Amino acid sequence: MRLYLLCLLMSVFSVAAHAAIVQQEMRPGIPANAEYLIGQRSKPAVLLLHGFLQTREFPTVATLARGLQDAGYTVLLPTLSLNIPNRMQSLACEAVHKHSMEDDVAEIGRWVGWLKAHGHRSIVLVGHSFGSLQLLAYLSTHPDPAIKAYIGASLVEAQIGTASRQALIAQLEAQIQNQQRILVTQRLSFCRKYTSTPEGLLSYVRWDQPRLLTALKQAPTSVQLIMGDADGMLGQGWLKALQHIQVPLVIVHGGSHFMDGEHEFDLLDHTLKFLEAHQQGSSR
Amino acid sequence: MKWPDAISIKQIALAFITGLLVLMSLIGGFAAYQTREVTRSLEQHNQNAAASELTSAVQRLLRQTDDQAANLADWDETRQQLVLPEYYSYWRDQRVYESGMLPSHFVRVALYTPSGSLLAPSPAKNSLPARLPADVPLHRLSSWLADEAGATVLYHAFPVYIDERHQTLLGYGMIRIDFMPALLQQEALHFADKASIKLTLKPGENLPATKLLSRLAFKAQPDPDRLRFQSILSRTLLALFVLLMAMALLGFVVYNRLLVRPLRRLSQDIDAMQHGRFSPHSSRSQAMRISELENVRRSLYDYQLQLRELHGSLEHQNREFHSQARQDALTGCHNRRAYEEDWEKFRIELKNAPQGVAFLLFDCDRFKTINDTYGHAKGDRVLSIIADALVMALRANDRLYRLGGDEFATFLSRTTPAQAKQIAQRCQSLLDASVFSDLGINEPVGISIGIAFCAADQLEHINDLPKQADIAMYTAKQPGRTRIALYGEDTERASQTLVASRETSALFQALASPGMIEMHYQSIHALPGRKVDYYEALARIRYHNDLIMPDAFLPVVSSRRLEAGFDLAVLNQVDADLSSQQLPPGIGISINLSAQSISHPEVVSQLLELSRHNARHPLMLEITETSLITQMAEVRTYLDLLRTVNYRIAMDDFGTGYSPLRYLVDLPVDVVKFDISLVNKLGQDNRASQVVADFARMMSDAGYSLVAEGVETDTILRKVESLGIAHVQGYLLSRPMPLAKVAASFDDQNADVNCTA
Repeated sequence: MRLYLLCLLMSVFSVAAHAAIVQQEMRPGIPANAEYLIGQRSKPAVLLLHGFLQTREFPTVATLARGLQDAGYTVLLPTLSLNIPNRMQSLACEAVHKHSMEDDVAEIGRWVGWLKAHGHRSIVLVGHSFGSLQLLAYLSTHPDPAIKAYIGASLVEAQIGTASRQALIAQLEAQIQNQQRILVTQRLSFCRKYTSTPEGLLSYVRWDQPRLLTALKQAPTSVQLIMGDADGMLGQGWLKALQHIQVPLVIVHGGSHFMDGEHEFDLLDHTLKFLEAHQQGSSR
Repeated sequence: MKWPDAISIKQIALAFITGLLVLMSLIGGFAAYQTREVTRSLEQHNQNAAASELTSAVQRLLRQTDDQAANLADWDETRQQLVLPEYYSYWRDQRVYESGMLPSHFVRVALYTPSGSLLAPSPAKNSLPARLPADVPLHRLSSWLADEAGATVLYHAFPVYIDERHQTLLGYGMIRIDFMPALLQQEALHFADKASIKLTLKPGENLPATKLLSRLAFKAQPDPDRLRFQSILSRTLLALFVLLMAMALLGFVVYNRLLVRPLRRLSQDIDAMQHGRFSPHSSRSQAMRISELENVRRSLYDYQLQLRELHGSLEHQNREFHSQARQDALTGCHNRRAYEEDWEKFRIELKNAPQGVAFLLFDCDRFKTINDTYGHAKGDRVLSIIADALVMALRANDRLYRLGGDEFATFLSRTTPAQAKQIAQRCQSLLDASVFSDLGINEPVGISIGIAFCAADQLEHINDLPKQADIAMYTAKQPGRTRIALYGEDTERASQTLVASRETSALFQALASPGMIEMHYQSIHALPGRKVDYYEALARIRYHNDLIMPDAFLPVVSSRRLEAGFDLAVLNQVDADLSSQQLPPGIGISINLSAQSISHPEVVSQLLELSRHNARHPLMLEITETSLITQMAEVRTYLDLLRTVNYRIAMDDFGTGYSPLRYLVDLPVDVVKFDISLVNKLGQDNRASQVVADFARMMSDAGYSLVAEGVETDTILRKVESLGIAHVQGYLLSRPMPLAKVAASFDDQNADVNCTA
């Protein structure tokens, strides 16, 4: 009934209401919001996820979302709460990070569920940077027939710098084991002092390149990676590794990690191209 | 207000400098006043600026706090702590500062539950209230100040909503700021004195931030520019004042040295000159630096030198003049001035040294005649010879004084009357021995000497000596005298008649005042029959109701050479009497004249004027025979002239004077009046009587009309009648009478005639 009413409203206000902020309570006291960009019903809905500690306002995803909407795709652009009520700002590395990969995956699941609840049977997950990792983690743990494809732009593993990932994992596990309610500071992704609970940090640190490559290989849906060959964030040999496992990969020449500048259009073009191809493949 | 008569140039300089200092002090005071006003204005401006900047600082602080509170309220991590406060202390104590949400540890923050309870206890040192104040409107940003342990704390509470539209309250946040440190940290506080900023709150008082400014006490920061300006200005004024004082002092010293001292020197020199103490060789003669003053000094000194020379010359001349003034230029003896001074001095000395004093008065006999006869030059030589002789005759210490004309005097100290007479005789002897023939003067030249003596015990009469000597001298001149007379012995009577001061005064007053001379008329009777033919006008002087007789004043007239003046006065009075027409027509009048007056033009002129009465009263002029007629030709000319206007000329006192026969021969005499001395001879029965009688007959035969004067007895009258003398006059027949009485006698005669008829 509610879906019916929603569709009715959307049909009535399709022209006027092309975007809306939607909100869901992810955990008690932790609401999260997303921007819902309404496109054509005939095209798959895109769940576009921002990078590490960013919000949906981050330029790479915001621009891409507008482009996709302009191309007729409905886009749901959530901001992960990272266990902050109604988070609206990029979260600082030094902030108290009480979120984990599991929390992120759960929220992605909630938004996928929200799309499905809102009548989207064909969903394409598009992520940027760490968001691509989080979406891949979701895919690996929550295979869903409604999710028709996965596009990972500037996909990168949970980088921890030069530290030994095994040792770190062991340390974190020990701390968890000892129930130490402390905050640990660790280099993670672009954060030099990422301050987090051991559990949260550990959930991200486990996603190293091998696990990522494995998840790609085992992805339950079609995959498309769009990577820039000028991405400074990528570990050495990461592109080769991706090519090595023969995952569909588009290299944007000169594209940086954030696909900024003229490469915004490359990202959009490659995304649309994949979506169109995927849509045509599905319709056949 | 009375101004001083004169002020010194130093006072002027002091007044000028004082005025200048006062003026500069006033200007300095005015400048200081203006400076103070400017300073006060700057202070006020500074105070305003301090208030303004403090207000801005407070508002900025509150605005910053508002911003901080707003940022915290909108901060994701704030909301995270209100939901998941597990690491709240990390967030509160570290994260808010590292993130830059709060600037420093002066600012503390705490979170409260929606019910107002503190999310977690705060550290003791930065404790925040366990609960939010109930009276604070928590639905919006609220600020207030409270006193905590002596420190002022600014609290700022703010609500935290979970959504942007602030529909769901998540809790509260509260910022605590140490107000004063935070306020003083404001870099914009340039004008306000940070140390002076005070905010006093009562214990337990919560002061709303909106009322903060009204309770904030502060002082303006001293403006260094203003203080520097003040300091510079004060130093400048002080330096200016000191400089001015120094300049004034220097100016005064220079002024004193260049102007005051030289002027004072000049003034002192002038004073010294005035008092005769000036010395041209003193140290004052050094040059002055001011050219004009130097010129004045040179002029003054030159002038003074010239003055001194002139003074010396004048002194010399003065001495000369003094000497000359006291010396008779003609005779070389002392003059009248010296006499008066010496006589005064001598009288004073006598008071201390009483002694017998004799006063000798010398007068040359007939000097006027000699002078007129032989000329003034020879007359002067005669006087010199007389003076030489007298000086030689006097004692060594006696001084001879020429009182005037031919009159000399001396006074002898420590002498007796006998000694005085002896000296007088020596004088006459020496003069008699003098030779005048060299001058062509063959007549004897003698002197009459009057002596007055005052004994040592009668010095109170010393002042009478000159007068007494004068009397004695005229006594000595009387015919038949020895030409030396001692007052008291020889001049007892004469002193009453000659030069008594009373008569002299009367005479001079009479000459000066018409009317004092009163004419009395004595009848002259024709013989035989003794009928009154005419009257002789005889002069009297009416003086203080007394009648002074001729024998009292005529010697004075003679001695003072007043004949012309006296005769003019007599003629005027006779003219007045005749003009009154009290005498019957046909009655003649005989008027006495001295021979000297005849040659006087004014007298002649008056006689011509008087001649108009001849028609009514025949007029006769009686020339006194006793007077010496030296200018015979001239007198004759005048007498001839007078005869043409019908005057008759009579020779009076015939037989007593000089050269009677010569006069009769040379002068146009109509009438000869025999003197009483001759007439009295007629009363004697001797040869003298015969000589007089024969002489009278001879005169009558020669054509002269004779008049016998002084007939006082019948014997003489009969003798006169027997001699054929035409007229007779004397007390026997009548005495002189005033005009009114004469007129009355004619009235009586007319009455008798009428009755007889």
